[in-house]
Amino acid sequence: MSTDISFEDVSENFRHISISGRLDILGSDSIALKFTSLAVAAQRRVVVDLTAVSFLASIGIRAIISNAKALQQRGGKMVLFVGDNAAVIKTLEATGIDTLIPMFTDAAASDKAALA
Amino acid sequence: MTASVVNPIAELSIAADTGEVRRASTWLEMACIEREIPPEEIRRLDLCLNEALANVIAHSGAIASSFQIRLHLNVSHDQNASEATVTIVDAGAAFDPLAVAPKPRPLTLSEAEPGGLGLLMIRSFADKVNYQYRQDRNQLTFSVLWTEHGNG
Repeated sequence: MSTDISFEDVSENFRHISISGRLDILGSDSIALKFTSLAVAAQRRVVVDLTAVSFLASIGIRAIISNAKALQQRGGKMVLFVGDNAAVIKTLEATGIDTLIPMFTDAAASDKAALA
Repeated sequence: MTASVVNPIAELSIAADTGEVRRASTWLEMACIEREIPPEEIRRLDLCLNEALANVIAHSGAIASSFQIRLHLNVSHDQNASEATVTIVDAGAAFDPLAVAPKPRPLTLSEAEPGGLGLLMIRSFADKVNYQYRQDRNQLTFSVLWTEHGNG
């Protein structure tokens, strides 16, 4: 049940961040600092890949919102790629986060939206 | 529903510490699997458990944190539906989370405040939620319902 985070730079200002495992209290705490350091930078466009997240609690959503806001304030943009992860989709929809941070089931669409 | 208990109640005591929440999740998952509760209902219970425990631990205070938090799982069935119920009993100051008015949803990311989503998630994923303060203890109960046809 470990929680991991990794990234891939697609271009200078465009980054994919992938999170896997449980985003519960322990899991969110374990990646919080790295998530912020990877996501938040001036003008950066970020796709956060949540397809391998097995559990998304409110503390995980809190981290996503905080980083998305910080990124936006620096002229950047975050979108979420969820694939067919029904559990994550239901949680994001139930909390209304999908209306605040664009959410996509298709990888190409998430890239396109991040760069728009 | 006029439910009758057909499975024994599972119980667990944990310390009022965030490090215990995952142990509680593991206990809940195993207890639910043993009782053949469907995966989607386990997921809903687990989400509610995580949010409720986070709330209890955050607000329990120094005195309450010296007490154990007790967790109970009950499962019942009748001819129409099945029901799994988790009860969380803690010694924190009396606090009825159901009395807290839901926050208005932000319309933009700029308006969004991180936090305050736990109660919304409990309300969203549980089919029933109840709170009582009895014998100097908070008792929060949440339930999920399902049928054999899967429309829980």
